[in-house]
Amino acid sequence: MNRRHFLTGAGGTVAAGQLAGTPVRRPPLSFCDCALQPQAAAPAGAGALADFGSKVRITNLKTFGVTIPGAPPDRPYVFVKLETDAGLVGWGEGTLEGKAGAVMACINDFREFLIGADPVPVEHHWQSMYVHSFYRAGPVMGSAISALDQALWDLRGKILGVPVYKLLGGPNDPEGVRGYYIANARTLDDLKRLRETARAQGITAFKGGLPSYYEWIETNQKISEAIAHVQMLREGLGPEIDIAVDFHAKTSPTVASVIIKELDPLQLLWVEEPCPPENVWAMAKIARRVTTPIATGERLVAAHGVRELVEQSVVDIIQTDTNHVGGITALWKVAAMANFSSISMAPHACEGPIGMLASLHVDASIPNFLIQECCGQAVPQTRDKVWEEWFGFPAMRMVNGKYPLPEKPGLGFDLSEDALKKYPFAGTRPMARVFHKDGSVAEW
Amino acid sequence: MPPPLNPQLEMVALDAFPLREPVSRRAYTCLRLRTRSGAAGYGECSRISPADLTALRAAIPGREASSFQSIRRGLTVSPSTLAALDMAMLDLLGKHTRAPVWQVLGGPTRNQARALARIEGDTDDAVVAAVGGARASGHKAFMIPVPQSTARNHSATLVTATRRRLDRVRAAAGDGSDFVLDAAGKLTPGDASSLASAFERMHLLWFDEPCLLSNLTAAYRIASENVTPVGFGRFAAEPGVFQDLLRGDGIDVLRPDVSLHGISQARRISALAETYYVAVAPFHEGGPIATAAALHLAASLPNFFIQQLPCPAADEDRRMRARLAGESLETVKDGFLQLPRGPGLGINVNETALNEYREREQ
Repeated sequence: MNRRHFLTGAGGTVAAGQLAGTPVRRPPLSFCDCALQPQAAAPAGAGALADFGSKVRITNLKTFGVTIPGAPPDRPYVFVKLETDAGLVGWGEGTLEGKAGAVMACINDFREFLIGADPVPVEHHWQSMYVHSFYRAGPVMGSAISALDQALWDLRGKILGVPVYKLLGGPNDPEGVRGYYIANARTLDDLKRLRETARAQGITAFKGGLPSYYEWIETNQKISEAIAHVQMLREGLGPEIDIAVDFHAKTSPTVASVIIKELDPLQLLWVEEPCPPENVWAMAKIARRVTTPIATGERLVAAHGVRELVEQSVVDIIQTDTNHVGGITALWKVAAMANFSSISMAPHACEGPIGMLASLHVDASIPNFLIQECCGQAVPQTRDKVWEEWFGFPAMRMVNGKYPLPEKPGLGFDLSEDALKKYPFAGTRPMARVFHKDGSVAEW
Repeated sequence: MPPPLNPQLEMVALDAFPLREPVSRRAYTCLRLRTRSGAAGYGECSRISPADLTALRAAIPGREASSFQSIRRGLTVSPSTLAALDMAMLDLLGKHTRAPVWQVLGGPTRNQARALARIEGDTDDAVVAAVGGARASGHKAFMIPVPQSTARNHSATLVTATRRRLDRVRAAAGDGSDFVLDAAGKLTPGDASSLASAFERMHLLWFDEPCLLSNLTAAYRIASENVTPVGFGRFAAEPGVFQDLLRGDGIDVLRPDVSLHGISQARRISALAETYYVAVAPFHEGGPIATAAALHLAASLPNFFIQQLPCPAADEDRRMRARLAGESLETVKDGFLQLPRGPGLGINVNETALNEYREREQ
């Protein structure tokens, strides 16, 4: 049936009437001017799964904004708690830098998707939240779905009585999940000390960044300084530690290519986000020109958001974040897709502890796992103390270079609302805004 | 320190039961996995080699059945053997959590699974009779073989013969019936494309295995030349083939064989298909344990469409399947299979029947 037939068929009288300026005969059951509006008040299938699954029902959904000292002000944690009539609760995280209020509002928009529902069929809920939102998910909705998905997995694990990594088919390594810290060092001496600390703690990898902000074409001086900075990382940390360098999309494909060409001999673990994420071909241009593995993906939402990167074999490593990509469900699917192209997974995590712990469960089960981020440092920071105070164990602190796996059912921790009350929400703050010397907008 | 192994999940023994249906001679193998606590989990594959059996027995000690994904690392056995292991481990994990496998995997995503009857027969009369039988037993979707033809590259003959067959089965099956046309990879790409074009307006569910997958470009061309949906996959042991077909716009229905990919691998393949808005309709020509696995797969996927079901013509074969895993499992009502509701795969495998139908070494 061609387009013309469609117009003169189902919606024919409406279209013709409008064009002719004559009174319109509306479709009898339409609720609005949109002829595609679902026609039935109670659509077939709405309750079709009610008798399939657990007897547990979600009774309440609560969001929490949590601001802790010492953490970047742009990312107060956004947590969600699902309560059930079985007394079990599920926790999830959807922290999104600069958009805490928006994510909390978006989580609340999903209330009626989940209140009264069985928490076990997480795939069904994920599909409903994603598909029935019509516009597909950007980062705000992706983070909201992530929070709820994690909370559903937490509940699923608790209802079924096993840690989530067992529902996913893990563990790859019973000792835990390989991770890395941030190399918090400014000088060569700092780095040499860090190398000793790493040796003592069994840390096998660090991540560093570039020292400045970059325009889309750069001067010899800026380029040389960037190269020298990364060379210093390698010199200070030595040859046996893996080093990832986060370009944080501060560079254009042009400038990134020039810099990475000189970094190739350093045998880096990867260069991360060498350009912004919207243009897969721009990323591919860099990857084609250098031998250093390229990693990207922390800003991408759903397996759909990663498809082109995977199908065109653009990068070596994908870094989707369980707090934005759509939770455990979506991170697992991204990993499955990537694995068919032999692309490794190094999930991003730079927000709160719940998303990170959720990520560990996926890491522990996927075949193409490389390493897990946590944005911590070799020396524990304030946030590590707060997290230990909340959970009663040193969350996301490595032992012999690995994060131990949580062994309790679900995501593997208990958290009380009272524990969070000490750190009330201090409001949404934007991410840092940086500018070049001439006042033009810079990426960081 | 890692926690000690849970005896309900700790795998300690593994046995294989080669089975064969008495009349159809359809062969499959049941894998039985036991845990320290005595629980048994079952899986199914094609024939398993002694070397693969040895490799599996070496892989399971010291591991829990929940490690159904991690155990694949470094295990070099046939895909089908891995598929059976995957089913058996998931069966045990479901029994341990007292939940159907579809629940373990995040489902249900649906409350029943549409069924596709695979019709066999060398002549139109035989095909029509088989469709009638399947319709009488509750089927509403039928996979019809393309008529055999010796006239290679003579598509007009083939189109005429196929049209005659489809017209007859459509009349025999009655209103509300749907059809998959199955070339079983036996046509030339040119003949296949001619058939696909000829039946564009017949609204087939899809055209299955129109040609061999040895040249993917040929497959892409069939899909690009007409709107008849095409299905591929029963011969694809390497899941990367699905990725190539998807990115080349050469496939509308993914047909991973459940006995070749197991539940987990089929789920990963389906996740890939989801990003192309492509449906999954697992191929299945094995026994009833794989049918159960397929139903759990169906109820865990967002993009499942229909499950192929072998339709043995002989009473003896049907009796064997029912005795192995229960009568209700493969019962089709109004075109749909019901989801198993019990823990694990939700079937009680009959050990007496397993031994009775076990094919002994000749």
